[in-house]
Amino acid sequence: MTGVLQRTPGTGTGAPAQARRRPRRLRPHVLVFVAPFFTAFALFFLAPIGYAIYQSFFKLTSSGLGLTEPTVDFAGLGNYVTALTDEAFTGSVVRVLVFSAIEVPIMVVCALGLALLLDSARARFRAFFRVSYFLPYGVPGVIASLLWGFLYVPQTSPLVDLLAAAGLPHDFLRADTILLAIANIATWQFAGYNMLVLIAGLQAVPRELYEAARVDGAGELRIAWHIKIPLVRAPLILITVFTLIGTLQLFVEPLILKPMTTAITSDYTPNLAAYNQAFGQANTHLASAMATLIAIMAFVISFGFLRLVNRKGNRAW
Amino acid sequence: MRSKLARAAAALAAVTLAAACGAGEPAADGGGDPAQPVELTFWSWVPDIQKAVDAFNAAHPGIKVNLETVTPGPDGGYAKMLAAVKAGNAPDVAQVGYDSLPSFLVNGALEDVTEHAEGHAGKFVDWQWQTGVFAGKVYAIPQASGPMGFYYRKDLFDKWGVEPPKTWDDFAAAAKTIQEKDEDAYISTFAANQAPWMIALAQQAGQQWFGIEGDSWKVTIDNPDTRRMADLWQKLLDDKLVKTVADMSNGWYKDLQTGSIAGWIGGSWGDAIIRGNAPGTSGKWAVAPIPQWPGAGEFTSASWGGGSASAILKGTGNPAAATEFAVWLNSDPASVDILLSAGYGWPSIKDTGQIPSLQQDDTVFPFYGGQNIWDVFKEADAAVSLDWRWPPVSDALYATLTDNAKAAVEGNGTLADAIAKTQQAMVEEMKAKGLNVTGG
Repeated sequence: MTGVLQRTPGTGTGAPAQARRRPRRLRPHVLVFVAPFFTAFALFFLAPIGYAIYQSFFKLTSSGLGLTEPTVDFAGLGNYVTALTDEAFTGSVVRVLVFSAIEVPIMVVCALGLALLLDSARARFRAFFRVSYFLPYGVPGVIASLLWGFLYVPQTSPLVDLLAAAGLPHDFLRADTILLAIANIATWQFAGYNMLVLIAGLQAVPRELYEAARVDGAGELRIAWHIKIPLVRAPLILITVFTLIGTLQLFVEPLILKPMTTAITSDYTPNLAAYNQAFGQANTHLASAMATLIAIMAFVISFGFLRLVNRKGNRAW
Repeated sequence: MRSKLARAAAALAAVTLAAACGAGEPAADGGGDPAQPVELTFWSWVPDIQKAVDAFNAAHPGIKVNLETVTPGPDGGYAKMLAAVKAGNAPDVAQVGYDSLPSFLVNGALEDVTEHAEGHAGKFVDWQWQTGVFAGKVYAIPQASGPMGFYYRKDLFDKWGVEPPKTWDDFAAAAKTIQEKDEDAYISTFAANQAPWMIALAQQAGQQWFGIEGDSWKVTIDNPDTRRMADLWQKLLDDKLVKTVADMSNGWYKDLQTGSIAGWIGGSWGDAIIRGNAPGTSGKWAVAPIPQWPGAGEFTSASWGGGSASAILKGTGNPAAATEFAVWLNSDPASVDILLSAGYGWPSIKDTGQIPSLQQDDTVFPFYGGQNIWDVFKEADAAVSLDWRWPPVSDALYATLTDNAKAAVEGNGTLADAIAKTQQAMVEEMKAKGLNVTGG
């Protein structure tokens, strides 16, 4: 998972109503304050995206034996057609969709479960557990993948030895188990972070609600189900969207695990396929087209999901 | 894009102009003005190569070479070099694998240095020299290759009563015997992750993969000799007589340490890898020549990933000095000795008799029970096919072959299918690039 988007703080409250009511005149000195941000934003965010999209409409063409310098030709949508008719690329898209279908529910349930446990009235050593669950998030993705990789490779793994001794399944690196192995790394890494987002949401719930519920005879489980979960709906949707985007952009884990298994190919995920085209095969044009497609896919799916949960005026954030 | 092309064209024109102006001057002979030395930039990732560069600078007061270390080519070094050529600030000389020279040429990144280099051809082994020559023009000076041999645990082979295999049939039989004697031990792994390794096995099997006919590339990956090689390994995989762990991975290193993997068809530089990662097995290894195919006639070996060259990049202002440096770096005995001790591979020079560490090496030979393993690799390097041509799409070849071979190991089709799929993909890839191609 990319993590970049996941680090965005979860402000889900919408723009202050006041600002909307009284539009201000743009004063010149405001420009001075916002200019640095917008300059950097334009230079390092908008411009590269624009350049990538521009690049995706061209291709390098050689001729004959190719011993002369190639020319850059306009390719129209050629690169997009190449990507979308490439079975390996479309296969990788299906693969991350399957991965999302597995990983998103696991992640949301884990994060919610941990958050509810830590928020329950009977929880002890809250600070300790909160930090412990959050700690994996501080481990860089590459290190986390290497670390788990060592635990998956039979020759170096005490875990595999233990499972084998107990007669349990222990082959993490086969084609039919590798996605779960990756899901495990992602969950280990990000569940704690998502838990924190939910805990922040839970702490904003007025305590009187719980007291009132208890007076009415509700136990902890009922309180969790009927009060807490409905009231953290907005942060729940937030972490779902973050996880969705992260899973669709799956990259680091398969890249690191690739040398350890025959189950991961150079186009295992769409991001990996784009990376392989750009840096392995020096075809930046096709890579740009693939990257654009991935962005569109993530955009459509995450906004589609938001539309779905926000319908009937039941707006979460 | 237009402006980039214009800049590249301008750079090209400037280079041609400089070369034209330089033609009248005396050829560089280590001369130049010591007070104002010609400055060259050299990009490489070879460990310890700084020592060789220092030695060159000390011996050539008129030329000053500045080494800049880059990441190894396939890990980003090549991308950086190609980008630098496009941007017009490329180094004069760069480390480029034999397998990638054609891609560089196709990208217009190499400088024609025929007039400065052709006189030195006699110093180098023929097949290695030819890797830097295209259509009669010289673009790169060969540095080192990876001739293949069979590393094996002599102590274990002796214990099991297995002889090092002379033919591939022997190899399959030995694989079976070893499994019978010890169910935890394997003769080798099938490294589906390692395209250059599989390509070397195919290169050794007989018919080559790429050729040139007129102005068209001929792709013959899916040929009877390669299929024979693929079938042999497929049978070993089916019978579970070889492991499938990736080579040069942590699991593989562990297997070398424990003797779970007792052999490796590896390049000459593989010695450093085994010694470095399984130091506890010192004295127990030996090296035999690579097994042979029946009907091969004379002894045939192959080179892992070809090898590596010092290429003169497009845009250098000093092709003469750059060539002189590249030739010295790769042929001066002192320099070759330094490169060899860095574990970088088999030297490209013909006369290896003048390299002291190839005659006696008190670090290497004891690891192999006193065997002079370099004799095996010297013979192997002389037995590499002259006909092998790398295509201008070797990166795509590596990725495609690895992906297809991995699928075969995972049980989706056979290795022969993987070869057929790779053939088809390469023809398509080259056609898509606008190259003239005929499929075999």
